[in-house]
Parts: sequence; C-alpha cells; structure tokens
Amino acid sequence: MKKYAIIYKAVLMENLQYALQITMGFCSYFIMIFVMVHLWRYMYQSPGSLIAGYTKEQMIWYVIATETIWFGARSATVSRQAAADIRSGNIAYMVNKPYHYPLYILAKYTGEWSIQLPLYVAFAALVGTGMVGGLHRMHPVGLLAVALAVMLGVTINGVFKLCISLLSFWVEDSVPFQWLYDKLILVVGTIFPMEIFPAALQPVLKLTPVYTVCYGPAKLLVDFGADTFGEILLAQSVYLAAGGVLLCFLYRKGVKKLYVNGG
Amino acid sequence: MLTVVKNQVRVCLLSVKYNIMREMLNKVTFLSNILFMVLNNATFLIQWTILLSLREDVGGYTMREILILWGLAASSHGLSHVLFARVFSLPELVINGKLDAYLVQPKSVLLGVMTSSTSASAIGDVVYGFLLLCLSGCGFGGFCLFLLFTVTGAVVIIAFALLLGSLSFWFVRADVLQNNLVNGMISFATYPDGIFEGPVRFLLYRVIPVGMAIYQPVHVIAAFEPHALLEVVGYAALLMTVAVFVFYRGLRRYSSSSLMAARM
Repeated sequence: MKKYAIIYKAVLMENLQYALQITMGFCSYFIMIFVMVHLWRYMYQSPGSLIAGYTKEQMIWYVIATETIWFGARSATVSRQAAADIRSGNIAYMVNKPYHYPLYILAKYTGEWSIQLPLYVAFAALVGTGMVGGLHRMHPVGLLAVALAVMLGVTINGVFKLCISLLSFWVEDSVPFQWLYDKLILVVGTIFPMEIFPAALQPVLKLTPVYTVCYGPAKLLVDFGADTFGEILLAQSVYLAAGGVLLCFLYRKGVKKLYVNGG
Repeated sequence: MLTVVKNQVRVCLLSVKYNIMREMLNKVTFLSNILFMVLNNATFLIQWTILLSLREDVGGYTMREILILWGLAASSHGLSHVLFARVFSLPELVINGKLDAYLVQPKSVLLGVMTSSTSASAIGDVVYGFLLLCLSGCGFGGFCLFLLFTVTGAVVIIAFALLLGSLSFWFVRADVLQNNLVNGMISFATYPDGIFEGPVRFLLYRVIPVGMAIYQPVHVIAAFEPHALLEVVGYAALLMTVAVFVFYRGLRRYSSSSLMAARM
C-alpha cells in the first residue's frame, strides 16, 4: 500500500499548487446553488410547510450537500483519463508498471478530491449560511460520521466511474455511459431526497449507487440519527466491496482482451 | 458582394459537412453518442414530473411550458455546438497561439475558426429538442416559431461565448470566465424564469443573456407577441455584432507561438 500512499501524496501536493484554480470553479457551483435555492423557495408556499418530511431549510441544505459532493468529487482521472489510456493504447505500458492500474487511478483520484472537496465544503458552508441560515446544531461526533459517509460515498463514486471507463476495453467511447451514470446521480440523488419519490420506488432507489454516494451523506447532515448512520454505513460497505469486485473483474477481463489484441 | 457571401457560406457548410463526416468515421460511436445524449437529457423529465406533482406549476410553467423550455434550451445549445463548436474552446487557440492556420486562409478568419470543429453528441440535443416540441403539442405556428428561436437562441449562445472567449486576447484566464458563464447560462436556461425575482431577472435578461435566448422565446411560443419576437431577433443580431467587433479588435493583439501543427 506504501506505493499508493506515495502516488496519493504526489497528486495531493500537485493539486495544492492549483488550489486557486479550483476556486475558479466556484462560479458554476454558486450558480447551481443559486438556482436551487430559488427553486425550493418557490416550491415551499408557506414557511412552515413540509415536503416529504423536510422543512425548506433542510431541503436546501440537502441540495447544497449533494451539489458539494457532486462538484467536489468531479475528476477527469477516473472518467476521461482512464478511458483515454485504454483507447490510446497507453494502458499497454501501464500494466507493466509495478502497481495495479485501477488502484493507481483511484490513488490519483483520492489525491484530487482531498484538496477539491474541502475547498467546496468551506465555500458551501459560507454560501449556505448566507442564503438559508445555519443548519441545526450537530454534535462533533455526528459531524465526524457525516465526514466518514462523504468520504466513503466519494470513493464509491470513483470506483463506479472507473468501472464505466474500463468499458473502453470493449466499446470505443465510454463517455456516453458516464453521462447516464452522472444523470442518475444528479436527477435521482442531487436535486431532491429519495423520500420525494413514490413509496413503491424508494426500495428500488435504495439499491442504486445514489443511496450511498449522495443521499446517505446528505441525509445524515440534515437529519442525523445513529440508526440511519448504521444503515448507510452498512450499505456503503457492501457497495464498496461489490464495486471493488466488479472493478477487478472488469480489469482482468479487459487486460486479457488487450493482450489478445496486442496492446 | 453577393458572390463573396455565397462562397463564404458554401465554405462554412462544407467545413461543417466534413466535420460531421469525420465524426461519422465510426458509425456505432457516432450513433450511440446521439442516442445516449437523447437518453441523458430525457432523465430530466423525471425531475419535472416530480416537481410538478408537488405544485400545479413551477414559476408559472406547467408541463407544456417546461417541455418547450427544455426543448428550446436543448436545440439551441445543440445547434450552436453542431455548427460552431470551436467557439467554446476559442481561448485555448488564442492562449496557445494556434490561430495562425486560420489567419492565412483566404476566407473569414472568424468563420474559419468557428466552423473548424463539431460535437456529434450535440446532434442528440437538437433531436431531443424537437422530440420535446412534438410532445408539447404545439401547432404549425408553434413549430415555425420554435425553429426561428432555435436559430436565435444558438446565435445568442455563440455570440456570448465568442464575446467572453475573445477576452482571452487581453486576459489569460478568460477561458475560466467563458466556461463558467456559458455553463451558468445553460443551468439557468433549464429552470423557469418565474422562480427568480427583481434584480436577478434583470441579470438574466441583460447580463447573462439567457432571457433573450430562451425565456422570452418560450413566452412568445406560449402567447404570440410580435413586439417580443422582434426584440429577440434584434437582440441576437446586436449581440453577435458586438461579439464579432470584439473578436476582430482582440485579433489585432494576437501573437503567434510559431507552432508547427498539422490540421487533420
């Protein structure tokens, strides 16, 4: 694991140099939050009303949390770079290196979001407090639990995005599959919580990555409960294990195909 | 004069045709890009079905207006990227001194740059836009207006991107500004203007020109007003004129990087 820690550290130091550049992306993020705040202010006709059990403040903070995860975990490494490595044949050189390629990409991805996400979290706290007001008081242990859920969610997201990129071993362009995955996360998990969907659909949605990537961490932030935390942590562990197995399976299958084709 | 314009238009159309043909080299990828873009856009119908189940209208828009709004936003965005995709990466050409190849061509520099690339997936946006128009149940008049506003919307988006992109002749990081504001414009374009109030509406109609590209056309399609239609057409023409002027002013400051490259 030491070599992956070194890769992580190298990418982390590299991204620290570009921290100012990351903050330039705040403009798009702010516009999205601005639109969402106005949308939910409009949707809540009277101040005290509830939609799917959420107050207006909780709903807006939910959206802020999910958008922060969405923007903070954006990375071209797990999506475009991995796909480009495979398409260009560059992977033929990387499989011979003394590391496991998917773990190398995931270490780079972790180095990227380790800088990006905290910057977005700080900006989100400022914007959220300015536009909606502070969130209810949370116990520091609760905040730590939310942080753990966010980190696991972002990692699961990276694993699944990398799995999609590995489809480039079989199809020329895997980017359209990334669009569909992104839209699943965005539409089902980012704009509103799962409770807003019809009751019959909710158990099905809980089986999708949306539950572990976006909904879980954001739900804990706006309505923390030890039971909910346990449930989300279990789902995330299962998802991470399943995602890891799928990733290894796709990579092994893909690399065999690469050898057949001659690299 | 007329022959010059005719020749220029011919060159532009040929350029777009060859760009699309290049994208079609791998037909499966080309078609899957279009199909997946349509599917990708269609996921937002879920979002609006949910939101409209909570309230009868959102910002004064019922499902019919939402379909027109999304249709127009998708088709305008798509048309701008099919015909003039390079405008959206103009800062990269300017900052890296890659405009030389266009400067030595005997035709318009700007049109040469703008038509030098296309986005295959953007065809999916255009297709999706017209599919939504069919779903919205607009009549023949609505279809004609939609067609016109798709063109004016694309002109406004291109002009806005060109204006911001041309700032790279003066500022190095204008690419970030262009990227953020053009993406911001698209984000605003997919939500009804009725949810915004006061100074924000002024901002959306005058500073980020999403009002004139999308919102006002949707209102005209929903309830025809000749005055509003002329305003949209006039605004698109004016913004494009300003953008072209700024581009050529900036071009005077351009310095080559003496880069040797082959354009395929």
